[in-house]
Amino acid sequence: MDILVCFKVVPDLDQLAGSDWFIDSLLRVETGYAKTILNAYDESALEMALRFSESAGQSVNLTALTIGDEKADIYLKTLYALQFAKAVRIENSVEARFSPEAVASVICRYVELYGKQDLLIMGRQSGVGDNAKTPLLAAEMLKWPCITQVTRVEPGEASRLKVTAMVDGGLVQQTVRTPCVLAVGNVPNAYLRVPTLKEKYACGKKEIEVMDLEQFGLQGIFNCFDTGCELQGLALIDRNREGVIVQGATPAEKARALYDAYLKEWLEQL
Amino acid sequence: MPMAREQIVEKMMEILGEDQVITDEQVLKESSVDRFRRFEELHGVYTQPIPAAVVYVHSTAEVSAVLKFANEHRINVVPRTGHSATEGGLETAVENSLVVDGSRMNQIIQIDTYNMQATCQCGTPLQVLEDRLREQGYTTGHSPQSKPLAQMGGLVATRSIGQFSTLYGGIEEMVVGLEAVFPNGEITRIKNVPRRAAGPDIRHVIIGNEGAICYITEVTVKIFKFMPENIILLGYTLDRMKTGFELLREVMANGYRPSVARLYDPEDGAYHFSHFAGNKCVLIFMAEGPKPLADATGRAIEEIVAQSEECQKVDPKYIQVWFNNLNWDVSKVAEERAEIVETKNIGNTTEISANWGIINDIYEICVERIRNEIPDITLIGGHSSHSYLNGTNMYFVHYYNVVDCKPEEEITKYHLPIKKIIVEETIKAGGSMCHHHGVGKHRTPWIKDEYGSSYYIVETLKKAFDPNGIMNRGTIFPRR
Repeated sequence: MDILVCFKVVPDLDQLAGSDWFIDSLLRVETGYAKTILNAYDESALEMALRFSESAGQSVNLTALTIGDEKADIYLKTLYALQFAKAVRIENSVEARFSPEAVASVICRYVELYGKQDLLIMGRQSGVGDNAKTPLLAAEMLKWPCITQVTRVEPGEASRLKVTAMVDGGLVQQTVRTPCVLAVGNVPNAYLRVPTLKEKYACGKKEIEVMDLEQFGLQGIFNCFDTGCELQGLALIDRNREGVIVQGATPAEKARALYDAYLKEWLEQL
Repeated sequence: MPMAREQIVEKMMEILGEDQVITDEQVLKESSVDRFRRFEELHGVYTQPIPAAVVYVHSTAEVSAVLKFANEHRINVVPRTGHSATEGGLETAVENSLVVDGSRMNQIIQIDTYNMQATCQCGTPLQVLEDRLREQGYTTGHSPQSKPLAQMGGLVATRSIGQFSTLYGGIEEMVVGLEAVFPNGEITRIKNVPRRAAGPDIRHVIIGNEGAICYITEVTVKIFKFMPENIILLGYTLDRMKTGFELLREVMANGYRPSVARLYDPEDGAYHFSHFAGNKCVLIFMAEGPKPLADATGRAIEEIVAQSEECQKVDPKYIQVWFNNLNWDVSKVAEERAEIVETKNIGNTTEISANWGIINDIYEICVERIRNEIPDITLIGGHSSHSYLNGTNMYFVHYYNVVDCKPEEEITKYHLPIKKIIVEETIKAGGSMCHHHGVGKHRTPWIKDEYGSSYYIVETLKKAFDPNGIMNRGTIFPRR
């Protein structure tokens, strides 16, 4: 079975102080000074693929694919050490955060040219360029079904997959045929495992496959899709929370005040 | 005959009142350990004897009464404030210990901006004191990574050090006076003066005692004018740690005092700096203080580093953003705990110090041995973060996957063997096995090697002030 996991390296926005969120003359917020991390949903997708490959009971070939510059290479090397068979980076330094159609097109072209993939897994969205469209668009272009908000995938009978996904009010488990696209949602504590130094050294010389968009016949694609929108301005959202310090001479008095003023009515409505 | 657990609790309630004596089972379990055993704790495994009670003291007189009682009845006392210790110093090593928690003694008693000193109780969080001082344009100059969690008593008890130590010094250079209670209940105060030559400097009997000699109740520290507008940050990438150590030495030996002087190896630095440093070492300086001094220091460092062709300057904004996110707060600790449980990957640190002539050799041999000898290791690297005229420290960072062992076996399978390598190689080369975390309970096997013939002095202190051995048994001094 061949699985393609697509991921994105993003700046850790939690590192930026309030004063770093200034908007420059080109209507951009500079995030390049923050350290990079794996997009959280993609991290869950990568770990999900590894867990699936361990439980599949058959040979599973994992390929990791990202679009970006060499900052992603440290992550691709880690994925080699975690037994991904292929680690592919499609070179791009052009702004791609707000072009889900272009990103989906590149993914599809990779699948068409190099793929024969049975399963495509990726995070449902990213904190940077938070459009939540890419997996759906990729599925549409590939004409594959797509399941969103996936939290778990397990091998099923006769090459089918058992996929657990969040829906309004709970979880649903579906049995699906491949090929399909899984958009990974909010998986609790799905941290990517850590390879040992020995595993890293064993793959140290394995080259990352770096491709460029020309190889795909997609040069300039990130300038092609017109969103129909023109950015007019940006403004910071005031996220300051109001707070009240509960007064009282003793903890018991404070607890009483908290209960009477805030909790009582709310609890009675439950 | 040892006192029964119930009797100890009953007597504590008599001395302190019921609301200051905690016997909740989960609280007691969590109070039997510190961060050293967090892998066990995260899995709900508690291997240390559970204390009889956690008692919250509200005054020096209460500390005195509790210690006097414990001394009379040979009850082990573990002094505690912020509960952020990392070396097992807060583990309750014997049955029916009392954890004496001073975190409610949290008043800032005086900020004296004319005499440039601040006095506070032992449970004052450093962050609170620092924030109060900053409002008035001053700083303690003390900024350990644990600043959001740690409290003044514990910081002094462990000989803590902060990120700006190269200018402001470690806590031992900041403390001007103290109040402490000894096991027999004796309350002692060391007055706050600029210097003294009336015999030995007895502050150092108390600073760094790790709760094994006395209980610190009040601390007076120097304060400094805070001039953030003059701060200069400098960052460089370079190929070799040896070059970095040489440059740190050049800066220090030529008499410059940056507040921050740090050198990261590629492995440790990858977590923080890979977005601009790739796979290189990173050298960082901060100059601060009055503008002429900060400017001159910054210029001199640039000239010194420019002599090395290996160094490439980086945009200081990278360093600024990194520095803003260096400290640990409650949310980072919570996130770390969840990640450890999920991945079974845990990281710890071991800090040592050594003279310039041997530091690089210690760094290289420790990294090589740990890489080759410890199973399942996922990261071994480190950084130098505190430099002096005659040497520097090395802060080893080690992560590993816990594989095929019970939670309670993690320490003996991984953590202690790593510590053993670092401590033994450091002592063998002539360095010190502890730079700023304290000895705790897990470096005591090497305490006599650390001190050599001077162990006589420290051992005699223990015997003189704590003849019944009730103070934090197993910390600094090995249990017999």
